[in-house]
Amino acid sequence: MSALNRIPGWGMAMGMVHTFVRFLQPKVTVQYPEEIQEISPHHRGRLILLYDEAGNLKCETCFQCAMACPIEVIDMGGVDTKNRFHMHWGPPEQYAERREESALRRSGRPVPDRSFTAWLPIDLGPLEEILVAHDYDPRRLISILEQTQAEYGHLPVAALQHISHATGAWYSEIYGIASSFPNLAFEPGRVAEIGLCPCANCSLLGGGRIRDALVAALATDVGGVAPDGSVRFVATECGGDSRDEPLVTLDGQPQPGMTADKARELAESLRAAAARPGRA
Amino acid sequence: MSVISRPWNRLSLAGKIILPLLLLLVLLTVGLFVGWQIGLIPGVLDIGAQLINANIDIVRFLLAATAILLVTIPVAFVIIFMEMKVIAFLASRIGPNRTGPWGTLSSVFHGFKVLAKEDFTPTGADAPVFTLAPIVTYLASVMALLVIPFAPGLVGLDMNIGLLYFFAVSGLTVVGLMMGGWSSFNKYSLLGGLRAAAQIISYELPLLLAPVGVIMLAGTLSLNQIVLNQSGWFWDWYVFQQPLAFIIFFIAATAEGNRTPFDLTEADSEIVAGFATEYSGMRFGFFFFAEYVNVFILSALSVVLFFGGWNAPIDPRPILDLLNVSINPAIDLAGMGIWLLWGLVIGVPLLIVLLALPIWMLKSSWSFLTSLIVAFVLFNVIAVGVIGIWMFLSFEVVVGLFWFLAKTFTFVFIFVWMRGTLPRVRIDQLMGFAWKWMVEIALLNIFVTAGAILLIQELSRR
Repeated sequence: MSALNRIPGWGMAMGMVHTFVRFLQPKVTVQYPEEIQEISPHHRGRLILLYDEAGNLKCETCFQCAMACPIEVIDMGGVDTKNRFHMHWGPPEQYAERREESALRRSGRPVPDRSFTAWLPIDLGPLEEILVAHDYDPRRLISILEQTQAEYGHLPVAALQHISHATGAWYSEIYGIASSFPNLAFEPGRVAEIGLCPCANCSLLGGGRIRDALVAALATDVGGVAPDGSVRFVATECGGDSRDEPLVTLDGQPQPGMTADKARELAESLRAAAARPGRA
Repeated sequence: MSVISRPWNRLSLAGKIILPLLLLLVLLTVGLFVGWQIGLIPGVLDIGAQLINANIDIVRFLLAATAILLVTIPVAFVIIFMEMKVIAFLASRIGPNRTGPWGTLSSVFHGFKVLAKEDFTPTGADAPVFTLAPIVTYLASVMALLVIPFAPGLVGLDMNIGLLYFFAVSGLTVVGLMMGGWSSFNKYSLLGGLRAAAQIISYELPLLLAPVGVIMLAGTLSLNQIVLNQSGWFWDWYVFQQPLAFIIFFIAATAEGNRTPFDLTEADSEIVAGFATEYSGMRFGFFFFAEYVNVFILSALSVVLFFGGWNAPIDPRPILDLLNVSINPAIDLAGMGIWLLWGLVIGVPLLIVLLALPIWMLKSSWSFLTSLIVAFVLFNVIAVGVIGIWMFLSFEVVVGLFWFLAKTFTFVFIFVWMRGTLPRVRIDQLMGFAWKWMVEIALLNIFVTAGAILLIQELSRR
């Protein structure tokens, strides 16, 4: 290209070609009064804040608009007396809950009251065992939280409160640790993703057997989701890098040394982890 | 008077129009009959014929000038419509589509709009010059069209100095622009006029020098003869012998016609509209009319000089001889006698009904009348197509006109395409390009062509 760019008039010629392609392409104009474009039912036009005659904002920060907003674009923020910016609308976990609820509402399914279920009492037996194993040591919070996550599938509020009570660590400290590690989640239903390369090379290296095992364990084929919604089974691309074993990934991370049995165990453990132990 | 006024007032508007026309028709018929009988009209016609025969050159010139003047109007409207539609298409838009089918009448309505606007002369303007300026600009364009050969035998004035005449007359455009700029009594207009003059005079040089190579090859200045020299297959066109000249000519023509990327005379989006700042209404319209006629003329001249004029790109006769096919679509209308009348009276309605039947049967939602109307339109389209093909096969003029207009409008399309694509150049780049590059390359082209001609003569002499 650089050699061609040196020809005088080459850029002009390319521009002419560009517009000529536009000339032949279908047109984007919408004949408005006759032809009305499909607009999403969520569309509410341009959002503006109203002012009264005196020029004061009419908004009273009641957040009813933010609650009602189906696509959750409305949010309100401001500065406090020390000029620190902060959102008025709740902490992040409440955001996530709202978002989840909204997704359910949009898809037309019944909406469970997550803000209530997150606080529901849980079976504290397994948690107590973990705490005993860690000797109620607040310095081993990361390990405690990881094992709690493995046990319950996520970190229920009740479990965090119990850890705080039992170890003496502040709730905010536990919350801070839990929110700063990406493998720890406050919400149930984190969908794991098992990837398998479907290329001929990986299949010859044993990918076929792994695939059969995963299909049996997940009850779904590549491109599907396990019936309980805990694991997604997707195709990945090894890009020809597989030399002596097929490429299997878990949440995008390659899992070396995978065999059919190990794959079955992985899938079953993932499904078991998502089975909400400790819940009635 | 009430004997006349009362029934007259009872007439509807249509009646008030039709009744005088009927009266006029009756009077004309009676007058013509009586005049014919007493020998007045044949005598007048005879004198008229003698006058025309005595002054055939003047009559021919007047007819050609009138015809050319009339031809420019539809041509300009078509180009304005093309400009709107093609630029819209280049920008992924639809363009005008409200007035007429596909918006084809929009340029006509633009014309009406311009006519309806106030024709304003500013205080302090030099009124006669201000009024004459658009006329001079427009007439310069129209007069230049006079020597363009449209088809074999279809040329306004076949001069032996046609090309010289063309450049001399089309160079008058700049006088009109200067008149407009000077007489507006506005410093912006004056500056715009001077800018336009500077640009057009600068590009006049390469525009004149580029075809010199063609003139040397053709050995004539007559545009008709230049076209005749290029007859045959498309590789006989001068563009393949003078590609450099064509490129220079085309660039200079773009500047000469004030087209993008050289439309600095009225760069509407950047500077005040140049010499036309103080113009309004139809006087303004005439400037733009002249611009669009200029586009057509420059395209036509490019075609005539470099692309074989009205010559077809391929010569079908050897191919037809090779295939042993002979097409002779001559129809002996006189020999058909009464059958022609029957065919017109019965055949046409029968064909329309035959066309309407399948439409009616296929389109159950339409009434028979609707399908009959559609069939009538369809019949007309087919008939016009058939007549067009017959004329194309029968008359050399139609073939020539077809190829000439096809090539010319291809060039018009390229001009519009460039306008839809390219940004404007800066005024110093524009002038520098003309004086530092175009003139030199045009001169080089002349010397190389002359050298090549001498070389070939020398070689053929040995």
